[in-house]
Amino acid sequence: MKYIPYALLVGAAALFPYCVQRVFLHTPIEAEMGTAQKIFYFHVPLAWICMLFAVICGIAAGVQLRRRSERAEALAVAAGEMTVLAGVGVLITGPIWGDATWGTPWTGDARQVSTALLWLVFVAYLLVREYGPPNSERIAAALAIFGAIDVPIIYYAVKIWKTTHPQTGVVGSLPQSMWNTLFICLAALMMLSIALVWIRAAQARLAIALDQAWIAADTQQRAAQPA
Amino acid sequence: MDELNVFEQPEQPEQAQASTEAPGEAPGTTKVEGRDPATVRLKRAYEAEVENKVASDYSHIVWAYGVIWAIFAIYGAILWRRASAQRADLAALQAKHK
Repeated sequence: MKYIPYALLVGAAALFPYCVQRVFLHTPIEAEMGTAQKIFYFHVPLAWICMLFAVICGIAAGVQLRRRSERAEALAVAAGEMTVLAGVGVLITGPIWGDATWGTPWTGDARQVSTALLWLVFVAYLLVREYGPPNSERIAAALAIFGAIDVPIIYYAVKIWKTTHPQTGVVGSLPQSMWNTLFICLAALMMLSIALVWIRAAQARLAIALDQAWIAADTQQRAAQPA
Repeated sequence: MDELNVFEQPEQPEQAQASTEAPGEAPGTTKVEGRDPATVRLKRAYEAEVENKVASDYSHIVWAYGVIWAIFAIYGAILWRRASAQRADLAALQAKHK
């Protein structure tokens, strides 16, 4: 179990050069958008990873609220950080792609705005977790749950409102070669993100254990001191 | 890209014309078709437009991919530093217990 994240990191490191080679040498150039469409193969998986870890963070935060589980708390923090990280990737690569194809980096459409909102909510979650007063983890958990609720809004934004983003079924309509490349890139990014979340969750659990050990050591020392 | 090929005139008729001099032309000259300046200018304009689009696309791709790798590299470095700090914290705790 200890070596799983490192095995995933090695797997991702091996897969990334193949992804780039496949994207640029073995996948056809999209007729309308041209070469800029190659951003799609990492932009879309990053968006999926962002939404997936937002949901995982929300669920883990809910479990933490109910059961006061340290494991859930560690997972929630790690998933929250991955949501912010992938969110940065999506919110930067999206406007770069938009600038190349739409002629403007930001159209302010519902999917862009709801994704930016998700990112801000999880930034707030991490800030409250890191700098909040004692017992603020309950407020943080509530924020994470609120953020997770934004995920279906992002997904259905293109159906509910008129947006410049393509419809949700666009991935299914891709030619086989593009579809294969997309899922290989998704596999590489997923391996990397799971490995990083795993390592971060282990660090969060160790941090909790260390805090408790320091408190116990201080208590022991004070008890041993003569009055 | 295929639409650019519209301006590529088939070579064979030209070659065929070169061998048979049309009546009414000056001796030693042949009529060249499909190479008039307007067509050449249009073709060059198309080529320049495509070249600009490809160059612009490449710069956008380099930025996008660079940002993705940079984000993950920075996060990896942060995790590495956190792990080092925790190892130091653990060592301090163990030293206190001794």
